[in-house]
Amino acid sequence: MEFHGPSTVEEAVSLLASDEEARCLAGGATLVAMMNADLVMPSALVSLRHIEELRGIFTDSGGGLRVGAMTTHREVAEADGLAGAHALLSDTARAIGHPAIRNMGTVGGSIGHGDPQADYPGALAALDAAVEVRGPDGTRPVAAEDFFVDYLETALLPGELIAAVTLPPPPAGAFGAYEKFARVEGDYATVSVAAVVAMEDGRCSYARVALGSCGPTPVRAEAAEDRLTGSALDDADIAEAAAILREECDPVDDVRGSGEYRMMLVEPLLGRALRAAAAKGGAR
Amino acid sequence: MSEAIPISLTVNGRTHRLFVQPWHTLLQVLREQILLTGSKRGCNQGVCGACSVTIDGAVVRGCLTLAVNATDREIVTVEGLAAGNELSPVQQALLDRGAVQCGFCMPGMAVAATALLADNPDPSDDEIRDGLSGNLCRCSGYVKVIEAVRSASAGGAS
Repeated sequence: MEFHGPSTVEEAVSLLASDEEARCLAGGATLVAMMNADLVMPSALVSLRHIEELRGIFTDSGGGLRVGAMTTHREVAEADGLAGAHALLSDTARAIGHPAIRNMGTVGGSIGHGDPQADYPGALAALDAAVEVRGPDGTRPVAAEDFFVDYLETALLPGELIAAVTLPPPPAGAFGAYEKFARVEGDYATVSVAAVVAMEDGRCSYARVALGSCGPTPVRAEAAEDRLTGSALDDADIAEAAAILREECDPVDDVRGSGEYRMMLVEPLLGRALRAAAAKGGAR
Repeated sequence: MSEAIPISLTVNGRTHRLFVQPWHTLLQVLREQILLTGSKRGCNQGVCGACSVTIDGAVVRGCLTLAVNATDREIVTVEGLAAGNELSPVQQALLDRGAVQCGFCMPGMAVAATALLADNPDPSDDEIRDGLSGNLCRCSGYVKVIEAVRSASAGGAS
């Protein structure tokens, strides 16, 4: 096994492109655990820790947000002043693991694993985020919904790495909320719901919802969002939207809960997330 | 076996020059090469927290950190908490409160609690629980651990 510590993205990409079995090392929280369990043994590790341009959280002049792939969960959790619904990203980061994992784990490392039980995928889908992918042919943006392809599978091609996650300017008047149901503090979600909601005169004027741990990728349903838009988010609205979302779910049975149990969690968690997000906007 | 890589690691203020394989974890190198065996190998999966150390002041998993990726940084293990034979306030409080049962989780608990109090000298009980949420004790001795951390905190002279 070789070890490389490049200082530019170009160097890292050329190392990855020259060896299909090479893997990026970000915080190590997932990759090293898998190496310890003999699940993967890359031919080379390309450590990204010396690449400055992969770090940090920046708001652009148009109000869009860019989070470098090597930004740790702790840095995202502690980011102050994220505008409107962008703060959902911090709420989500605070729900990941525990202090040591938040100190180590990174945005890029987490989403690169493509685990639908992780916390970021749903939040990124609800925020209409894009993943900035860099490869031998340059940079390409991939919508979060297209990035997560299947269980532990992403749209990354050989030779490519995740440079950043980008969010469009937050929708006017919208706020986000992340509801995570887990067996114990720090565990992966049995089911999670990320919601972005704007309210006008007591009616929902904007809704984006994504479920985690309910299928091989984050689950979104435009029909459910359409059902919520224009409604007062009362119990019947939420029940009908949950029923539409459940049609799209294909949850597994595992130690964190049966598929049937996960299906039962969708409606109450959806209600909590929607109402928490709506409440952040105050009475409007 | 690939060729070993020369690295230097700064642990508890002392610099060690070593040869490691890329897949060697910091925990493995601490225990087997530097012979600091306070950090424990529990799950080796980042779940239990028995291997907790700090890197540049932040608590991390020794078992999920590759030694080759921990160069140029200040690593502190449980052996670095005491000043000579004088236990640190957190260690003394864990002892005084009877927080130790089998003791296997204690090095990680002591390191995590020390990092917590360095960031937040007077945490609430909820903040103490959150700060130690990544450290499992299978003897179920959490109540006394939390009491000990509270008593070692700035507001905990009781």
